[in-house]
Amino acid sequence: MKIVLLLLGILISPLMNAQSQYETGMEKAFELWKANEVEEASNLFERIARVETKNWLPKYYIANVNILAGFKVKDEGVLKLRLDKAQKYLDEAKLLSPKNPEILVMQALLNTVYIAFDGSKYVMTLAPKNTAIYEEALLLAPNNPRVVLSKAEWGMGSAKFFGQSTAPYCKDIERALRLFEKEEIKEQFQPSWGKSHAEEVLQQCK
Amino acid sequence: MFQLCSSKTILMKNITLLLLFYINFIFGQTIISGTVTDTKGDAVIGANVFIKGTYDGASTNEAGSFVFTTKTVGEQTLIVSFLSYETYTITHDITSFDNIIIKLREDVGALDAVVLNVGTFEAGDNTKVTALKPLDIVTTASALGDFVGALQTLPGTSTVAEDGRLFVRGGEAEETQVFIDGIRVFTPYASSPNNTPTRGRYSPFLFKGITFSTGGYSAEYGQALSSVLLLNTIDEPVQEKTDVSLMSVGVGVGNTQKWKKSSLSANASYINLGPYQAIFSDRNKWNKPVEVSSGELVYRHKIKENGLLKLYSAFSYTDFDLIQEDINNLAGVRFGMLNKNLYFNGSYKQILVNDWMLQTGLSYTNDYSKLTIISDDVRDIENSWHAKLKLKKRISNRLKFSFGGEYFNTNFNEEYKNNAPSVSRYTYASGVQAVFGESEVFFSKKIAAKVGVRVENVSLLKQTTVSPRVSLAYKTAENSQVSLAYGDFYQSPRKEYLKFSSNFKTEQATHLIANYQYVKNKQTFRVEGYYKKYDNLVKYDTQYVEPIANYSSAGNGYAKGIDFFWRDNKNIKNTDYWVSYSFIDTERNYKNYPTSATPSYIAKHNLSIVGKYWINDWKSQVGISYNFATGRPYTNPNTSLFLAEKMKAYNSVSVNWAYLISPQKILYFSVSNAFANKNISGYQYANAPDSNGVFNRRAITPSVDRFFFVGFFWTISDDKKSNQLHNL
Repeated sequence: MKIVLLLLGILISPLMNAQSQYETGMEKAFELWKANEVEEASNLFERIARVETKNWLPKYYIANVNILAGFKVKDEGVLKLRLDKAQKYLDEAKLLSPKNPEILVMQALLNTVYIAFDGSKYVMTLAPKNTAIYEEALLLAPNNPRVVLSKAEWGMGSAKFFGQSTAPYCKDIERALRLFEKEEIKEQFQPSWGKSHAEEVLQQCK
Repeated sequence: MFQLCSSKTILMKNITLLLLFYINFIFGQTIISGTVTDTKGDAVIGANVFIKGTYDGASTNEAGSFVFTTKTVGEQTLIVSFLSYETYTITHDITSFDNIIIKLREDVGALDAVVLNVGTFEAGDNTKVTALKPLDIVTTASALGDFVGALQTLPGTSTVAEDGRLFVRGGEAEETQVFIDGIRVFTPYASSPNNTPTRGRYSPFLFKGITFSTGGYSAEYGQALSSVLLLNTIDEPVQEKTDVSLMSVGVGVGNTQKWKKSSLSANASYINLGPYQAIFSDRNKWNKPVEVSSGELVYRHKIKENGLLKLYSAFSYTDFDLIQEDINNLAGVRFGMLNKNLYFNGSYKQILVNDWMLQTGLSYTNDYSKLTIISDDVRDIENSWHAKLKLKKRISNRLKFSFGGEYFNTNFNEEYKNNAPSVSRYTYASGVQAVFGESEVFFSKKIAAKVGVRVENVSLLKQTTVSPRVSLAYKTAENSQVSLAYGDFYQSPRKEYLKFSSNFKTEQATHLIANYQYVKNKQTFRVEGYYKKYDNLVKYDTQYVEPIANYSSAGNGYAKGIDFFWRDNKNIKNTDYWVSYSFIDTERNYKNYPTSATPSYIAKHNLSIVGKYWINDWKSQVGISYNFATGRPYTNPNTSLFLAEKMKAYNSVSVNWAYLISPQKILYFSVSNAFANKNISGYQYANAPDSNGVFNRRAITPSVDRFFFVGFFWTISDDKKSNQLHNL
């Protein structure tokens, strides 16, 4: 049955060109990612990025896939390879779309992977960077829910550490949630992640 | 079951192939298929295989194989890329990419590749093998915020507690040279009274990385017999902020401003040991307590995309006057000092086309000292500068080379005035010009070599030297490697000698080093054995260094030893510790030695243990360091032997506690030599024997046994998060 479907699919797909190559490619990559085919998804985003050289989104997603995968890595060598790749594409994305709050948030997330891996080695150089990145992102996009959420979560970590009240950050997360509700997807494939994570983080406030 | 599965896979694969053939037949597509392996023939899983400029491609499966179709025709480029391998490209007619076998070469830049780091320790977060982390420089209990102090917990250094400078592998302190951004620092240490340890002049928070080489270093560095210490300043500060420090010994303030392309950091500090000495009296009688005013200024400017200009300058003013105990002088000996030091360092880095890089810089030092010894006055003025230009070319990850030239110049002038009305003047001027070239070759991920040569000419001594430098590294297993290094090193004699004579040859040392290291997640083990041979060392025939002495370069010596280093922050929770042990066997026949002997600054066995423990509930880091050194040699004039007796062993335990009051406020306590162990650094014997024919002596001890430090560090920035943890 599967094979028949595959056959049908293959036979029909070249005939209907309703969707552009870019759209199909991106959708396929997201499917692979959802199915936890990290390498495949990263590879496909990379192939797209190499063709769509003026589009920052595929580059952003290569970084995103590898950064999230990085949180699970135990070996520093492997981690560095992944994050170097993510950094490379993030740098390219920055050149195409400077002052992009989404890319800034992704950069801070990349730094966070390093800090989570070995705090004493990386916190001194990267923590102040992250703080500065979030400041800049908030200035650029005060109503971007991912900016509001990530900045609040970063602040919350430090407040918890110092035994300070997390209440102001919880307020920010609630605000992020309201912003997620209102968020409109203007451009296809534009970053839209974060709502469910905001809900998870908000649980810590209760 | 397994067989069933795999046969099903094969069946599926065949069907896929069949389908693709069918598609090929109908739509005029071409099938691209093949296998990707590493150089050993093992499958590479997850590699990205695609046709350049198209979406057409696939990832390799568990067997390393791939298959996809493309509509492209004619000559096309197939690209294969994967994380730790070099990207492979092949351009050919599309129909030839069927069933092709691609062997990927490992990327030698990957973290698990062999490292050329024999002899060196690195601190920073951007290095493959990190011995020290950025925070260590400032959280090591015995270091008191001094980067030199932190480096003294590494193997290869000798504990010479009364001096404070770096003594590396049998070398004197002057054999270690310090460079900021590749440019020489001529007077790296602060002025301090005799028998009181000195500190590095520069504040550690301006540096992002520190490389400390205990031997066998690159041809880029010269005029250093034993060691080089490379400090690199921060390229771009993260944010604008103001730092305020209130300490038991003084105050400090710092500020950073940022603009679009440039930034400026300034800091100033004032240290006065007077109040401390009023509470905790020491063994000296102070006419004027140590007073140090200093400041630093760093300006950084980005030029276009790829250029970076850094201007660094530092100024310090030191003043003190004291009377120190003396066996020949009941009233003690007066020693006063006024020192003014200005240092400027400008460097420029530019990435050029085709993977060329240009680095150039200039440094200038002006050091003025006025010393009062009993009733004699000595005025020293040193003007030195260094200019350097270096070009680097990266041909591939496997082959890089660099070459350059530099020029050092020192002008020294001394006026010596004793009770007599006449003034004696001693001066010298010396230029050193050098060219160097070096190349780094990675034959594979396992074998690498660095080969370089340096040619140096010292104008004052009319001498040209050629020094080859070679190092090799071989990866023996996943986490371990062995390395070898050989090199010749030359250095002009010290200014103390050059001001009286230029009848010298350049001093020479030859290093031979073998190293084994094991690095696994958060654990490092390193053992290094070395042999060093010294030649052309300065000799003279008087009791002190005097103008009337006969000077020559007839001295020589050797040093051999073994250094161990172990660091672990994995096995004990919230704890990070390292252990360094060094054994050294060395003798020299230099200076006015009647025979070959082990110098008085050498301890045969040195041990350092540094531990840090993070207490989450207290928001505190507590640290402890223990230093041990076996007794150093001294000469007892009551015997006929030279440097034949040994002092008692050195022991010191230091503790510190950093408490984070809030994200921006830190309270810091430390106690050096907490148990007030009575250490001695030598004996001073009477010039003449007493009535019984015995030369009396007094032990030379530190001015205080125990030292307390309390500091409060406050950072003011917009984000309310950064702090001066790195500044402690």
